[in-house]
Amino acid sequence: MSCVVVITPVLIASWPVMSAAVTAAVGSLGFAIVRNAGASQAVQSTAKERTKAEIEVADSEILQEAASSQTIVVEREGIKATFSRDARGSLKVCLDGEGHSKAELKRVGEELVERVTQQYVYHRVVTELKERKMNIVDEEVAADRTVTIRVRNL
Amino acid sequence: MAEQELEISISPAGKVTVHTHGLKGEACLKYAQLLVEILGREETLEKTAEYYETQEHETHVRVQQRL
Repeated sequence: MSCVVVITPVLIASWPVMSAAVTAAVGSLGFAIVRNAGASQAVQSTAKERTKAEIEVADSEILQEAASSQTIVVEREGIKATFSRDARGSLKVCLDGEGHSKAELKRVGEELVERVTQQYVYHRVVTELKERKMNIVDEEVAADRTVTIRVRNL
Repeated sequence: MAEQELEISISPAGKVTVHTHGLKGEACLKYAQLLVEILGREETLEKTAEYYETQEHETHVRVQQRL
């Protein structure tokens, strides 16, 4: 081994790319996509009080496009998570749920963000390696969900 | 010569660790830097004993050729 580098990912992508990462990631946590809204929509409150939490993914930038702001809404067991682009261009996740504490919602949101990040990074790595005609010889997913990609013919 | 290989690990939180194998000296930094540019921000960079051994070998060979 010659060197080891650790990289903190920065998510920079257009909305279609980001939404693809969200779509690929949420299923593994048992979430289902409710709708892929064409315009920003506020989540309607029901008669019962719903707890809310919000997470902004600091190391992210969703590139501005001609289309109006986009959202993806996913749901699981009464918890609704809305992914969108905030005013600063960062990825934002708004969660709300009945019978869940704010801390619980925040934990679920952080888990969603981690999965989306991993999915984005994986897609970016594979795409870039293929564009550079580098040979991916092996891919492995460990029990803790770490994905390892081996590349030869550099 | 050991086969040149990159081992890219993506943690469940999306953090990336890149191990380079069989690459001499500065060449390993080239691939490490490439992935940093693609993915985000370098957090740590560690040059292992193998990195310095191959650099010394190259320097030794160059000196011998000059003599």
